[in-house]
Amino acid sequence: MKFAYFHLMPYTGKKDDTHDWPVANKLFDADLGKELYDTYIDSMVDAEAAGFDWLGCNEHHMSPYGLVANPNLVAATLIPRTSQAQLAVMGQLVPLLNPIRVAEEYAMLDVMSGGRVIAGLLRGIPHEYVAYNIPPDESHGRLSEAIDLIVKAWTEPEPFGWEGEYYQYRAVSIWPKPMQKPHPRIMMSCSNEVSARVAAQKRCMFGLANLQNFDHARNLMNVYREEAKAHGWEPTPDDFVVGLTASVDEDLDLAKDRLTEGRRYFADVLGGGLRTAQQIVLQKTRYMDDETRSKFQGANKQAKISVDDLINEGIIVCGTPDMAIEQIKRVHGELGIGNININMKVGNIPDAAITNQIKIFGDKILPQVKHL
Amino acid sequence: MAYSQHTADLPQGTVTYHKAGSGRPLLYLHSGGGFMESKSVLTLAEHFTVFAPVAPGFQGTPMLDGIDSIKTLADLWATFIDEVIGAAPADVLGYSFGGYAATWLAAAHPDKVDQLLLQAPAGLAPGGGTGIPDDPKQRVAMLYKYPDRMPDGIQPGANYAENRDAIKQYIQTGYDEDLVARLGDVTSLSLIVLGSDDQLVPQATGQLLKEKLNKAHFIYVYDAGHGLEVDQPDRVAELARDYFTRGEAFLVNAGQNGTGVTTRA
Repeated sequence: MKFAYFHLMPYTGKKDDTHDWPVANKLFDADLGKELYDTYIDSMVDAEAAGFDWLGCNEHHMSPYGLVANPNLVAATLIPRTSQAQLAVMGQLVPLLNPIRVAEEYAMLDVMSGGRVIAGLLRGIPHEYVAYNIPPDESHGRLSEAIDLIVKAWTEPEPFGWEGEYYQYRAVSIWPKPMQKPHPRIMMSCSNEVSARVAAQKRCMFGLANLQNFDHARNLMNVYREEAKAHGWEPTPDDFVVGLTASVDEDLDLAKDRLTEGRRYFADVLGGGLRTAQQIVLQKTRYMDDETRSKFQGANKQAKISVDDLINEGIIVCGTPDMAIEQIKRVHGELGIGNININMKVGNIPDAAITNQIKIFGDKILPQVKHL
Repeated sequence: MAYSQHTADLPQGTVTYHKAGSGRPLLYLHSGGGFMESKSVLTLAEHFTVFAPVAPGFQGTPMLDGIDSIKTLADLWATFIDEVIGAAPADVLGYSFGGYAATWLAAAHPDKVDQLLLQAPAGLAPGGGTGIPDDPKQRVAMLYKYPDRMPDGIQPGANYAENRDAIKQYIQTGYDEDLVARLGDVTSLSLIVLGSDDQLVPQATGQLLKEKLNKAHFIYVYDAGHGLEVDQPDRVAELARDYFTRGEAFLVNAGQNGTGVTTRA
């Protein structure tokens, strides 16, 4: 198995629990921001040294929830400070962006890093569409067309144009082209059946940001496998990436308490405004069909489930190192996946604790589970 | 804008053609399905005077003596430009089978062609490409992504069976090496258009033409198969209108009102 160390890069200076959206940026303290970026980047460098195979980040807008407006900037920062780890940008929110720019930036990163990029091409979460003034109803169509255009931009040997529904370019020939051939691996979020099918049709990796429960994940993985088979290919474990929250300490209670407080801060302080915008988008647009909307809102309710219940369900990594090893083995046994994306920095969990966790993973956990 | 049918007595014989519209002349060379008043073809006539001759042997017309290859068919269209359109060089749009003839026309008679637009041209598939299935259902599935967009009253691919003998007369190979060797003779500004999901003409054909032609641009029409005039008629027609109206300036975004970008002389 391969393991990714993922960082959402939350802003931890927010104290109130206002639910306005956008969150007023007069609250942003640039000195703290500088300190956070430095700390977060350092932790990603530490993660490579500890044995993590991928270093991951993603894109969010106009929220203290995550300070990464452009994840490629994080990846670029990591290139000279790392040497082996894959740089997993999970990912760029393609429907919000110029697809040619996405293709260009990923190609730059791939060349500069010596071919270490994993290119996430994602739809994003609802509030992003308000932030970038893109019609949410167009999200699926834009994503699907943009992925085809991006792959063309990476692979086409001659200059070409594109006459599409959402994108029109009369002449494209990007410099540089990616180092990886035919192009970097693409990962899509497969949190619903529509996305899982599209990912399989386009031979992209299956990504699930958060494991909700094993049945949910297995169902989506089966949809992906069946669609892949219909399109003439068969996924391997390495095509699947599932995200797990992790809080590990030699002291079990400390591991649980930290995660409990981190989740509370994340949901109540960082996520409130985001949910306000999300409700507007989900209620007033066709961003999701009724079935998917219901499941999506169900996932939100999961934030209220206790850490102990999540441990019992086996869908987080939390506890002592020995417990973490068994929890990872259980996820592997249940799903047969080849990649796990670990998120340690939940809300305001102290960064010293994150540093300690990375060390525990490197010393005690990864050596016991990488062979799986 | 509906097309009217005419005949022209050329030195090689009588040719049937369809005509509609006003403005700059445009020679439209039909696909293996024959001439069809698709939405795209109807839209062209809103901007240009479209001359659409029927290749001899297609749609119930007789073959003509001496017109027995794609190259001699191209010669016939050169004569058509002189004798019927009367304004050489003319703009030429060729679709599939017609694109093959149009490429030969531009290579063998560069003085007759002003701007060239090749929609999914046949005859230039490296490796020879794939044939068109005889089974009607398989044929429709191969040619069209959205056969339900076919104009009312027209069965998708129906004319192909009627024209099959003529097609076999004109097309001897899926990869015409003689034509490839002559692509450098084409002097016109050229645009190659290919459906992103074309199962008949490979993307390598567009890439080959882009590489070999002297002044060429190559554009994919997203979400379209080989039958791109049916699958995405609005995009195809607008691309053709813009290209033939603005010349190479079609590369430049004309803005919402189209101001500030000059049209061709």
